[in-house]
Amino acid sequence: MAEVSALSFRPGNSLLHRMDVRFKIVFVILISLASLKARGLGLFMLTSVLMMGLIHAGLHLKSVLKPLRYVFFFLLFVFMARSLSVPGSSVIEFKSISVTREGLFDGAMVCWRWVVVIMTGLSLILTTRPSEIRAAVEWSLNPVPLIPGKRMATMMSLIVRFVPVIFEQAGETLAAQRARCVENRKNPVYRLKVFGIPLMRRIFERADKLALAMEARCYSENRTSPRLSSDVWDWLALLGVVGLCIITVL
Amino acid sequence: MNNIIEIQNLSHQFENGTPGLKNINLEIQEGSFVVIAGQNGSGKTTLLRHLNGLLMPTNGSVRLAGVPVSKNLAWSRQMVGMVFQDADSQIVGETVYDDVAFGPENLCLDREEIERRVFRALETVGLIDYKNQRPHLLSGGEKRRLAIAGILAMEPRILVFDEPFSSLDYPGVKKILSQMISLHRAGHTILVAAHDLEKVIAHTDRLVIMKDGKVVRDGLPSQLFGELEAFGIREPCASRMGMEVYSWLK
Repeated sequence: MAEVSALSFRPGNSLLHRMDVRFKIVFVILISLASLKARGLGLFMLTSVLMMGLIHAGLHLKSVLKPLRYVFFFLLFVFMARSLSVPGSSVIEFKSISVTREGLFDGAMVCWRWVVVIMTGLSLILTTRPSEIRAAVEWSLNPVPLIPGKRMATMMSLIVRFVPVIFEQAGETLAAQRARCVENRKNPVYRLKVFGIPLMRRIFERADKLALAMEARCYSENRTSPRLSSDVWDWLALLGVVGLCIITVL
Repeated sequence: MNNIIEIQNLSHQFENGTPGLKNINLEIQEGSFVVIAGQNGSGKTTLLRHLNGLLMPTNGSVRLAGVPVSKNLAWSRQMVGMVFQDADSQIVGETVYDDVAFGPENLCLDREEIERRVFRALETVGLIDYKNQRPHLLSGGEKRRLAIAGILAMEPRILVFDEPFSSLDYPGVKKILSQMISLHRAGHTILVAAHDLEKVIAHTDRLVIMKDGKVVRDGLPSQLFGELEAFGIREPCASRMGMEVYSWLK
């Protein structure tokens, strides 16, 4: 629970905190796209700028690294897969398996790009109120025909709201089953069944209660949206990010 | 004083045919503090959910200030603020501020008014310093106070508490109780559903006892103490010992 919340909005008054969320979303898209094309120096520049932004926003990198540790396992897997699958001059050979120099370089680049994308996403999530992200989604979907922007935005915010609840329910269900020695049952299908079914039932019950509580507080799609406003700093930042992306790609 | 709630011949039957309420007749004066007591399954929650139209009568009617609930559901829900038994499932927002703002946003109020109401509600329940906190990180008592703030921001005239002290520790009970008393003093009509009267009964001016979906007793609390155990409700400890019932806040 605490780990999930470590990757959520943290109040502050930095430039990143004060920026219009719509601009921040554009920055995430631009930097992520630029990182796909960037090579060593470009990635270094993007990483440095993002690192400075996160530190300026008052975020302790250590506190967000722990909950992200599973992502690093994924990156390690990607790195190993690349280093073993890309053809080139071999560095280590064992029977039919060979680790290539090109594979190691390519794996490192792919992982570095992932790190840039993750840092970009973090800088958005950690410095933006979820209600502002919801408002930006609503704003961006409004011109799209046949898609109800307000409903989509509410659904998105409820998913965000429900993630910790699902973790909590899963933790409680697992603890209750461990207390009754479920670990003695070795059949994974059985264990999945006795874990999954009660968990799903509890989640649906919680969802029902939430729907009732929303109804009791007059929920309707016609509601006041959070105010979004941009100023000259947002446009200057946009210019800066576009320039940075062009330099890193060239 | 005027009757703010008028319930006439109210019956409710659940979809599976089980009777929930049987011919309830109740009138509640504005500004009163009423406890509805009864065993689990006696119909307390079912009755309360008719007050804001979360459940609709199979027979009979519920009027708020003379207006049938079914005539204007949104108005009824604004008039009757309901704190659910499970405060966790009542929380909708991703931050404390967002959660309290949920109701006023549904009422389509302008941003300034929403902000004014949210700050006032958070100050009333003593959660102003937690406005940017994630709700699921709050303690049980704080979550219940947040639920109260969420309904206060809608400025209701009637406040309904469904088992407000369940799973709270002693300090949590005292905080919620003092909150309820100060809201009553501020002029709100308070209805509390409870199966354990000990914590609240010293502050109420009317006790309604329910059993099997019916109102079986209705009167001054002190006059009904002797009959409580016949309906499966524990008599307050002081009353058992022949003493005057005293407040939990003393």
